[in-house]
Parts: sequence; C-alpha cells; structure tokens
Amino acid sequence: MPEQLISRRTLVARCALAAGYLATQLALVATAGARPEHAFGFRMFSESSTVRLHLLRSVEAPSGHGTILVDAPAGSWNARDAAGTVHRFAWRDRVRAPELSTFDVTMHAAYGADAQVARLRAAIVDVARHIPDDAETRELVLDVTIRKNGREAEVVRLRSGAR
Amino acid sequence: MTAEIGVAARAARWVRRFAGDVGDAHVLGTVRIAFGAMLFWQTLELGRDLETRGYFGDAFHVPFVPEAWMPSARVYAGMLAARLLFAALVLVGQAARPALLASSLLGMYGLLCDRVQFHHNRYALYCFAFLLAFTPCHRALVLTRGDAEGPGERLGSLWAQRVAQVQVALIYVASGGSKLFDRDWRDGLVIADRFARYGGEALARGVPAAVVEWFSRPSVTSGLAKLAIATELFLAVGLWLPRTRVFAIWWGVMFHLTIEVTSRVELFTWLTLATYAFFVVPDYRARKLYFDATRPSGAWTARAVAALDWFARFEVRAWSPDGLRGGHSVVVVRRDGTRATGVRAIAMIARCVPLLFPLWAPLAFAASFTRGGEANTRA
Repeated sequence: MPEQLISRRTLVARCALAAGYLATQLALVATAGARPEHAFGFRMFSESSTVRLHLLRSVEAPSGHGTILVDAPAGSWNARDAAGTVHRFAWRDRVRAPELSTFDVTMHAAYGADAQVARLRAAIVDVARHIPDDAETRELVLDVTIRKNGREAEVVRLRSGAR
Repeated sequence: MTAEIGVAARAARWVRRFAGDVGDAHVLGTVRIAFGAMLFWQTLELGRDLETRGYFGDAFHVPFVPEAWMPSARVYAGMLAARLLFAALVLVGQAARPALLASSLLGMYGLLCDRVQFHHNRYALYCFAFLLAFTPCHRALVLTRGDAEGPGERLGSLWAQRVAQVQVALIYVASGGSKLFDRDWRDGLVIADRFARYGGEALARGVPAAVVEWFSRPSVTSGLAKLAIATELFLAVGLWLPRTRVFAIWWGVMFHLTIEVTSRVELFTWLTLATYAFFVVPDYRARKLYFDATRPSGAWTARAVAALDWFARFEVRAWSPDGLRGGHSVVVVRRDGTRATGVRAIAMIARCVPLLFPLWAPLAFAASFTRGGEANTRA
C-alpha cells in the first residue's frame, strides 16, 4: 500500500487520537460489569430473562392502626388529595418506556434483569416524588418477578420509601 | 542492543505505516452513504418517539450526565433537526466529515442524557460514525457532484479505517468474551430459554414442530451456544487475516442475518454488515470482467455487475471473442491476472458484489468440484 509523507506533528496527532480512542474503548469494555445494563460494553444478548411487574400502594389501614398494601392494577389508582378531592394517578404518566410501565404481563428483559431492576428502583422513587396530589399513598411498592435464563422465578420487592 | 534497535526500528516503521498508509476511498464513500442512511433513520426514530411519547427529559429518565447538562425540550428538538440535516449531508457527501463528527457527538450526548434509551447498536453507530469522520470517505461518491472523481482525488489516509477495524474486532471480543466467561451462556441456558419462550411464535409462523423440538434439546442449545461464542471470537481474528478474511466475512454475514431473522436488534445487523466494508481492500476496479456482448447472458451479467458493484471491484468491458474467451459469456480476470470462467467466474462475481455475497460460499464450494473454469494464462 502506498505511504504518505506526513509531518511529525500529524503522525503524533493521528497516533495519539487512535491510542486515546482505543484506550477509552478498552476501559469502557473492561468496566461494563459495573454498570447494570453493561452500557458501552458491547455485551450483546447477555442473558435471556423475563420480568413481571406488579404495583402496590401502602395506605393507612381502615382500622387506623398501621398500613396495608393495596393493588394498583395496571399501574393506576385513585386517591384523594389533602382537600378530599379524588384524582386518578398512573405510573405511566411519569414512566413512558413500555418495558418499565407495563404491569402484570411477563416481558423480556432486553438488557438483563439487573438493568431492569436498577431502572425500576430509580423509577419508583421518581414516581413517588411526582404524585403530590396523592395524600393517601404512604409508599409505593413494586413486586418484580424475575426469571433469569429459565431458572426458578424470584420476586424482588422495591420500595419508594415513605412519602 | 542490536535486537532492541531492531524492535524499535520495526515499531517506528509500523507507526509510520499506520499513520501514513493511503488508499482508494471509493469503498469508504459507500460506507459513508450507508452510515448517512442509518443515522438519518435512527434520528427519524427518535423524532417519532418525541412526537408520540413527548420529550424524555420531562418524564422519568436516568442520565449518565448531571441533570443540569440536560437539554430543554426545545433544544432537544433542535438537536434532532440538526442531526437529520447532518445525516443528509453525510449521505450526499457534502461537508461529510464535519457532519459525521457532529452526528456522532450529538448522538453520544443523547445516549448520555438517558441510559433508559441506551442500546448497544446506537452506541456502536456513533462510535463508527466518529471514526469514519477521520477517513477520506468524503473523497468518493459525492452525490451532489456531477462528474466522477479522478483516481488521484480518491486517495486518502486510511489510519482511521484501521482503528475502525480494531473497533469491529473489539466488539466481537467483548461480546464473545463476556459469553465465554458466563456459565449460563456457555452451557446453552440462555439460548434454551429463548427457544422455550419463542418456540410458540416459530410454530405460529409455520416452522415445523419437529424442527422447533430439535432446536430446543439441551444438547443442541449447548452446541449452538458454543458455536455462537466461537463465531464471535473467530470473527475478531479471522477478519484480519488475508487467508481467512473472505470466509470470515461470509460467516459473519450469515451469523448476523440469522440474528436479524430471529431477534429485534434495530439497526445492528445492517450496521455490522456495513462495518465489514472496512476490511475490503481499498483498491478500485482492480479486477476485470470481460463479457460477450453478442450473448444475452453476457450482456445481462455485465449490466447487473455494473449496477451492483458498489465497491467498484470490476472494470466491466465487452470483448471480441478470441480463442480463449470463445464459448464463454463472461471471463473474470483476478487481481493477480489469472482468469476464471463458468461457475468460478460467477463465484468471483458473488465474492465482490455485496448483494450477491451470501451466495459466494456455496458457489465457491460448487466451483471447487469443477474441472474447467480456471484458465491458467495471465491476462
């Protein structure tokens, strides 16, 4: 292949850019395990897992003592504000990604179960922060049923923290 | 001491060659057009998301960057419009390199703004667009230019193409390596579960039950897993070696087309196939295809090759049949001057024409059983 006569500065610049680029890529690939979705790590089809989401709300028990968990079917619920007016709330108002906002349906976890759990953990906190008109819900609770690579299902319970 | 000087001299020579190698940019021009189309399509998809779901920053999102670095909805919409424009510029070849660089940097920034939208194929697209911006891809196939470029105008430095080749290998090492070190993958559990979950869909699409059942056997899924891992690791090496390169590309094409048929991977298949072009030898019409214009089959083949020869592998010429060429519709003259006719010529055409490339291996295999087709005289 013919060679081009290039200045020393050009040679150094090209080598530095190539070395810097490849070193960054190698570092990102090597550290991909530290990121739940293995971002920038090119780990394609890393697992075959499913998740199933079920949303619950912790509300005051009718007896007035403690709290109970009630279902929020399809991620939606009605609740009163401080003035007693009933409002309709939906998880999907805040979380638009279908893979994080489809309830009671078994779904493929495209980037792995860990990635889904990490995203859902952030999502439940985010949703709980954005329902100021809900004066009834003390805490949001999300049951995530995970089936990793065809193994037995396990349930991970995520909590938004007390509101 | 002498050995050390020898190593240093070899390293210096290697560095000079890496940074100074030049070659014809026609193939890179083709890759640029493919990337322009993919960047345009990808941005359109983001635009559709914006239209149907609204701006992601107004809802739940998980940024890699600090929240303060997030664009406003208006700025984001403007960025998408700019990316569409840049992609169009890449496609036609006007200011292609700055447009590629801007497309890749804006794309990367978008990924950093919401990890919920992270996809390996999108990240890979921006990585390769970044590298392509440093290649002479703007020197060929400028669609807004009326005339074709002269050979001298197409020459350019190929150092960034070499880095792109390393990037392709790195992706395969990362993907194959992570599977190799994962026991579930190695043992076939991941593939078995996919078959178990999607076997019903395959049946509904008319795949015979016996086939689905056979592919679902543990021994078969375990074998397929090992084959997939071996394929990825082989591609990381095989694409580099001249002796294995063509087979590696063919095997890779088959591997990715299989993935395309069985999974939803956005642009990943087409992106990977486009990046294989980084391994195409950067020359221009170094082979010749002579055809007998008096025969319909010869004229038809010549027309088809001229239209589909996107990498400009062939110089297509009509000939007046002589002693050797008489009786043949087409004769292919290889780079080394040897000639091929019949099935061997067709295999050679399939090897060089992207759309026919999937047929190369079976044709070459069939040609290996033929006695004729190899005219030993050089052109």
